[in-house]
Amino acid sequence: MSDRFSTPSFEGTSALILHRAHANTEALARQLARIGVSAVTVWPEVEGQDFDGYDFLLFDADMGYDAQFPWAAGEAPIPTIALIGSEAPGRVTWAVSHGADAQLLKPIGSSGVYAALVIATHAFGRRKALESHVGDLTARLANRENLAEATALLMVRHGISAATAYARLRRQAMEERRSIDDIAVSILNETGTVKGSHGL
Amino acid sequence: MRRLSFFGERDVLARQTIDIGVLFSCSGPYAAPAEQGYRGAMAAIAAVNARDDLPFRLSPVVADPEGNTDRYAALASELVSGRSVQHVVGCTTSWSRKEVIPVMEKAKALLWYPCVYEGFEASENVVYVGACANQHILPLLEFALPVFGRDAFLVGSNYIWGWESCRIARDVLTRSGGQVLGERYVPIGDTDIDRIVEEIRIKKPDFILNSLIGDSSYTFLKAYRRLCESDPDFAIGRRPVLSCNLSDNEVLRLSPDSEGIFTVSTYFEAIANPLNTAFLAGLGEETRSAGITAFFAQGYTSVLMIAAGLAESGMGEALDVLAAVKARDVATPLGPLRIDEGNNHIHARAHIARVAADGRYEIIRQSTGLIAPDPFLTHSNLVVPETGAVPPAKPVLRIVK
Repeated sequence: MSDRFSTPSFEGTSALILHRAHANTEALARQLARIGVSAVTVWPEVEGQDFDGYDFLLFDADMGYDAQFPWAAGEAPIPTIALIGSEAPGRVTWAVSHGADAQLLKPIGSSGVYAALVIATHAFGRRKALESHVGDLTARLANRENLAEATALLMVRHGISAATAYARLRRQAMEERRSIDDIAVSILNETGTVKGSHGL
Repeated sequence: MRRLSFFGERDVLARQTIDIGVLFSCSGPYAAPAEQGYRGAMAAIAAVNARDDLPFRLSPVVADPEGNTDRYAALASELVSGRSVQHVVGCTTSWSRKEVIPVMEKAKALLWYPCVYEGFEASENVVYVGACANQHILPLLEFALPVFGRDAFLVGSNYIWGWESCRIARDVLTRSGGQVLGERYVPIGDTDIDRIVEEIRIKKPDFILNSLIGDSSYTFLKAYRRLCESDPDFAIGRRPVLSCNLSDNEVLRLSPDSEGIFTVSTYFEAIANPLNTAFLAGLGEETRSAGITAFFAQGYTSVLMIAAGLAESGMGEALDVLAAVKARDVATPLGPLRIDEGNNHIHARAHIARVAADGRYEIIRQSTGLIAPDPFLTHSNLVVPETGAVPPAKPVLRIVK
């Protein structure tokens, strides 16, 4: 469902509703069923629930608490939707701190769930892509010292300029289809001079 | 000697009167289809009242928002406040329906919505007595792609109906190995259409999906007809226009420019079976003279379903009436019909028709089965196979008892 023309389908997916049994959870389950999503409601303990088995988590922002989630704030492994009753800033902020990808306002009527699923799916996808991109950039940043060291080593060893040394590193990376950081680390490994902790 | 039967006693005792709200814009920009819905509902109320086997009679409470979206909620609120009206038949556009829904939900009343629409909704206080996307545009594309080809030009009015129709078509075409050669939107009421026809002339699509409404649509169809007459590459029938929203009355008024247009609907006046013959005969000449469209048949059907539910539930509360009617098939002009237990939409037939030289729809493929409603398009197959189980493009008639 990456492009805006395709029709999202949630048929056969499943949702965990973390909320005490209530008319709201029944309305939620009915709406989810119409969209093809099966739902399980648990409260307050989620122990024994395997989150990997669910495609969505809908959690109560009113009475929820940190210990309910087996992950650090903002690191939910599946798309999450906050069920908001009280709009008191403390509760809304708490829901945000848990990385809610979308929200639904209580009372739950007969609309809103489909849009929330679509938005949560896209927001989660964006969150994951961003995480992986940042992780990649962080690793490259951490390896900057190794790259400088390897460039210097080649300059001294072959009596060449910095630009030529770097070009040689880059050519080797391309030829071996590895990252330039990877090449730098292996050159330093030969001489035992790796600096960063990101040896690949 | 006259024996006083149970039914005879009912005749003696006054039948209970049940108020039915009738909420259509019989004036304003979309008065034509709205008036059909209104006339259908009123005709069915008269038909129900003419029966002597029911312990109630229906009394219409009419409100006309005159095409002003902002008036719907207030008028609906007037109807259902005081609890005299628990069932409202009405609304034509999706915008107006969205205005009325909160009122219905608050009052625990029911809106019987007798129109084709784009789907992606399922209110517990609305009964959708018209086709949603998997019951109109999908069957039309399933019919069209194997017959005409897979490269299409999409044109629509610049609002939700046009956007969503074109989006679904693009999705289906792309998944089915086809292409969208062009996609153009026109503001509602705009008739500056020549550039689009010129683009179609250059791109030569296999077919055109027309989701324009009103004057934009009429202007487009006339201009396209001129292209068909002047360019052999566009000979009539070669690159046909498909539309999910052109009623019998509109194509008749456009004749002969409408010849060859294909459409899909739950109902056509042209359907030849004893059920439809009996339905039309019962309406009388005056009612029939204005043409009987799907809007009329769906408005009529809505009232029949309310009556069936009232009878079955012992004149219960609105949601009890709905529960009662869901448990059975109701005989309607659309055939025996059932409301889906889960999403309140009807299980509908999708008939394919083509405009003949005389400006009337002729049935090309009469649906033999009911399509379960899938308003969120979650389990519909959006891929049209190369050669599916598509029957020949000839009328396939089926007797409906």
